[in-house]
Amino acid sequence: MNCILVVEDERHLAEGLRFNLEAEGYQVHIAETGEAALEVLSAESLAFDVVLLDVMLPGKDGFRVMAELRQAGNFIPTLMLTARGRPEDVLRGFAAGADDYLTKPFELAILIARIQGLLRRREWLRASMNHEAPNHNTADQANHAIPPPEPKGTFTFGEKSVHFDLLELRVRGQKFPLTLMEANVLRYLIQHEGAPVSRKAMLEDVWALHEDTDTRAIDNFIVRLRRYIEDDPTRPRHLLTVRGVGYRFVALPAEAG
Amino acid sequence: MVVAGRRKSIAFFIALGVGLISVIILLYVGGVLSYWRSGILLFLGVLLLALIISGVVVNTTFLVREIRRNEQHNAFINAVTHELKTPVASIRLYLETLQTRAVDDAKRKEFYRIMLDESDRLLGTIEQVLRTGRVGAAGRKLSLAPINLGSVVEECLVRARTLYHVPPESLAYLPGPEVTIMGDPDEVRAAISNLIDNAVKYSEREVKVTVETAKADGKYVSVRVRDQGVGIPQAELKQIFKRFYRVPGQLATRVKGIGLGLFIVRSVAKRHGGRAWAESEGPGRGSTFVLQFPIVK
Repeated sequence: MNCILVVEDERHLAEGLRFNLEAEGYQVHIAETGEAALEVLSAESLAFDVVLLDVMLPGKDGFRVMAELRQAGNFIPTLMLTARGRPEDVLRGFAAGADDYLTKPFELAILIARIQGLLRRREWLRASMNHEAPNHNTADQANHAIPPPEPKGTFTFGEKSVHFDLLELRVRGQKFPLTLMEANVLRYLIQHEGAPVSRKAMLEDVWALHEDTDTRAIDNFIVRLRRYIEDDPTRPRHLLTVRGVGYRFVALPAEAG
Repeated sequence: MVVAGRRKSIAFFIALGVGLISVIILLYVGGVLSYWRSGILLFLGVLLLALIISGVVVNTTFLVREIRRNEQHNAFINAVTHELKTPVASIRLYLETLQTRAVDDAKRKEFYRIMLDESDRLLGTIEQVLRTGRVGAAGRKLSLAPINLGSVVEECLVRARTLYHVPPESLAYLPGPEVTIMGDPDEVRAAISNLIDNAVKYSEREVKVTVETAKADGKYVSVRVRDQGVGIPQAELKQIFKRFYRVPGQLATRVKGIGLGLFIVRSVAKRHGGRAWAESEGPGRGSTFVLQFPIVK
């Protein structure tokens, strides 16, 4: 069962949170001061899965608690839940190391969704760390054209192979250096092989940009990548444009004509 | 962090002022020593120098005061935000709970009680802010009426006992002689209630508050509210009556407030031709607040 530490000195609010979170199936522990929260977190650092942290606390305030926790190397998912909603407060919360920030008054359903989001991210992270080693999926074994024991960080398609760890593309013995970003874009496209990928998704997942940046910036990368991997960059066969969406990577295109 | 930054800028401006003045004096003394013969110029120079120095001093004083005021204003905004939004958050949370979950009868009753408490708290904050606007407005006239002070004090005590769930012996009244004052009943009640609220709020463990009315100098009547609470440092006895002011440190975050209660008390006292002040032997030794009104013959 997931356990949540609620750091909140307003007793009514804390009890209301406890009632609802317990109804959702979480275990809840309440700390009324920043000091108490730090103490319980350092004593039983593994007992909690998420922290809900108020800012205006007696003694050490939430920002300080957050910063001290991160300095001590405790990276437990933390949502700051506070009445202070001015932009400078929100920025200060994130700067201190918060994972999420929600202002009071809040909607119960949204609070619960955000807690679930934090827990889910934690699970995904764990899962991806566990699965890193056995990298090869069943498609590799089914497709005998590609030799199964491929070195880690290498992807081969046709007569070309990408060496992600060396930042290198090899085409029939010829070597092309890749920049880190080019390699990341290529890796992302290869991971989504066969499926169209939107420019926005690439910006978010490869560059971690969430603003409305000009998504056309990606096109330059695609032009360069085509020069490397396409026999005829004007008539791409691997890196296809999907009109109105973005791009699609095809490892083994069916022979044209 | 922000406060430290402000302190730094205050220190910076003071240092700048002192530095400028010493440079001016140094240059001037140097000038006088080399041209001591020209008497009239010297006299004019002294005058000009005095002007410049006082200008720098005035400028520095105002700057520092402005920075302090800004700091207090910021703290006030934070406190009001907290005091307004927290009860709303709480009420909202309980309403959503009642709306979306199966809650048994006992819990339901408890939730209703909590929501009522929180709405009272919200109303209290709103009234305090509005009253500050009213007592602070110089032009606004009082609606004066003869008031029996003793019965107003008792009224306030009854309200506080129910609000804080304390027995009469913890919030005791020691009545003096019957006196009548001319005042605005609403404002007098608010001032006395604020003092009682503070006495309860700042009683750390056990609430032991006495309210006393007594004649002073024949012309005045004082309401003395005494508590056994956290006490007040000597340096803060006057400061605490300022608008938005809260004693810095741990206590202000432990006991919630917006820094208007005592400002209202003092304003009400002044508007009625009276006075208000605080006495305390220091931190941890309790405090006594005195509110004086003129007696009507």
